[in-house]
Amino acid sequence: MKKFLIWIVLLAPLLTLGLFAFSKGWFYPEPFPVKWTPETFSRLLTDSRTLKAILDSLSLAFIVSLLSLIIGYPAARTIGTQDFPAKKYVWLAIFLPTVVPPLAIGMGLSILALQTGLAGTRFGIILAHIVPTLPYTVFTLAGVFARYDENYEYQALALGASPTRIFFTVTLRLLAPGLAVAGLFAFIISWSQYLLTLLVGGGRVLTLPVLLFSAVSGGNPTTISALSLLFLAPPVLIIAATARFLGENPNDIHERI
Amino acid sequence: MTTVTFTHISKTYPKADAPVLDDFSLEVKSGELVSLLGPSGIGKSTLLKLIAGIEKPDAGEILFNGESILPIAPNQREAVFMFQKAYLFPFLSVGENIAFGLKVKGFSSKERQKKVVEMLDLIGLPGIENRRPNELSGGEQQRVALARSLVIRPKVLLLDEPFNSLDRPVRLNLQEAVRNIQRELGITTILVTHDLDEAMAMSDRMALMMGGKIAAIDKPNLLFQRPPCVETAKFVGVELFIEGVASSGTLVSAEWGEIKIEDKTKKGRAVYAIRPEHIRIQKEKSENALAGLVKNYIYRGTQAEMKIAVGEKILRAHIPAKNDFFSIGEPVQVVLPQEYLFVVT
Repeated sequence: MKKFLIWIVLLAPLLTLGLFAFSKGWFYPEPFPVKWTPETFSRLLTDSRTLKAILDSLSLAFIVSLLSLIIGYPAARTIGTQDFPAKKYVWLAIFLPTVVPPLAIGMGLSILALQTGLAGTRFGIILAHIVPTLPYTVFTLAGVFARYDENYEYQALALGASPTRIFFTVTLRLLAPGLAVAGLFAFIISWSQYLLTLLVGGGRVLTLPVLLFSAVSGGNPTTISALSLLFLAPPVLIIAATARFLGENPNDIHERI
Repeated sequence: MTTVTFTHISKTYPKADAPVLDDFSLEVKSGELVSLLGPSGIGKSTLLKLIAGIEKPDAGEILFNGESILPIAPNQREAVFMFQKAYLFPFLSVGENIAFGLKVKGFSSKERQKKVVEMLDLIGLPGIENRRPNELSGGEQQRVALARSLVIRPKVLLLDEPFNSLDRPVRLNLQEAVRNIQRELGITTILVTHDLDEAMAMSDRMALMMGGKIAAIDKPNLLFQRPPCVETAKFVGVELFIEGVASSGTLVSAEWGEIKIEDKTKKGRAVYAIRPEHIRIQKEKSENALAGLVKNYIYRGTQAEMKIAVGEKILRAHIPAKNDFFSIGEPVQVVLPQEYLFVVT
């Protein structure tokens, strides 16, 4: 029964979105839509502005998660595998963006972007997105590194492999599941980023959340619902795929003795 | 064929007070297996890390056949490791694991396959190249790790307590296998262990490490029977030390009285020691016999361990178990045969 309730609470908003998105002329006092149609979706998916927004959002989120991983990797590795006196303060510095109110960061970044000429550019938005994604990638990867055994790398080193080769053939493969999870965090945060995109992008780069917000203020429930579902789809699909991939390849860094 | 020489190696870890290695020198001859024995945290593993290039010494040199290896990159040194865990790459099959080093060196797929099969035969696990590491038992994993290390024909094999996590029968079996393979290939090997039995069973020479340097090094039997100093003697299981003044074949000790010694020329203060299994327990009086009472008798099959109270002191003796059973509280004579008494410093 408890489980059932949880499912209802989780799924009810989604069902409502689904009902709205596929209906036409659904007004009070009708309990269910009068007419069903995929029209809104086909309209949105042929609309060049929406398509561009989806593509922009996807590519931004992809680049942001890749950069977060690249930037976060050394930090996470140092924090996870080594002990040094200033560790606490390094943690604090890395975590600051998650504690400081987003609007404060956003205004600051906005001013900075205007001064450096990055305002309204995709590069500016990418940099702005990395601010909130980085703490999560570092946090996830540091956890992975805390359990990581560097002796695998020493074995490869002793067998003659160069550091570059070890990184690509040993380290990355051992860390693949952890990297996937960390990357996923960054992807989802960047994908759902509205405030920073708006403040730094100045409305010139339209990502899906920006489009969604303007649709919300437009007030058409059908369009809002359809856009919301489009907005939900990629993270859900990616999480499902990753969960499956991780389930099939359990990360046995800790091998059986 | 590689001779490994350490000259005056010193190493202090950052933040540590005392050096782990302090003016350490050792020469391991080509094809020889030398074990470094000592309690944990005494710098044994550090030494292996220095050879492998994972750590750098503060001072001193490491030479392979007379040439310094310190300027050589870690992956070019051809010194391979075997750790407590096998560290087989979990994403590769057994065959791919063994071929890892060969692939790095650019061997063709055909040569790799041939060598993998050879190595699997050598370690006594033919036909498992397509299995995954996690399908193997701990002992099998260690054998595969050994094959992976040896297939590239390294100059030096470094064993860092590789049998520690294994059950006793598997461990003994693997010790024998590793020793035989090592001998067959004639590869210079350094074994680090805190297990005296293991060191004695496997080594050509055995080095006892204390305070960052070698306290004693010799063939296992010599080091076991005649350890040179009190600390090393304690490490190999000697418990009875007799301090006294020697003159013309007699040692006069405040605690144990007069004891006959073989060396008639020995003069002045000296500490003599005897192994517990060389102490004899009997009913009759004889030379070098001390009267005592049996405190404890533990039967171990091949031998019996006894605790005997001699005056205020308790001493321990290991006697062949075929001897008569002694009951607790029984008066006995403890004999310290003079041919087994030796001087320690």
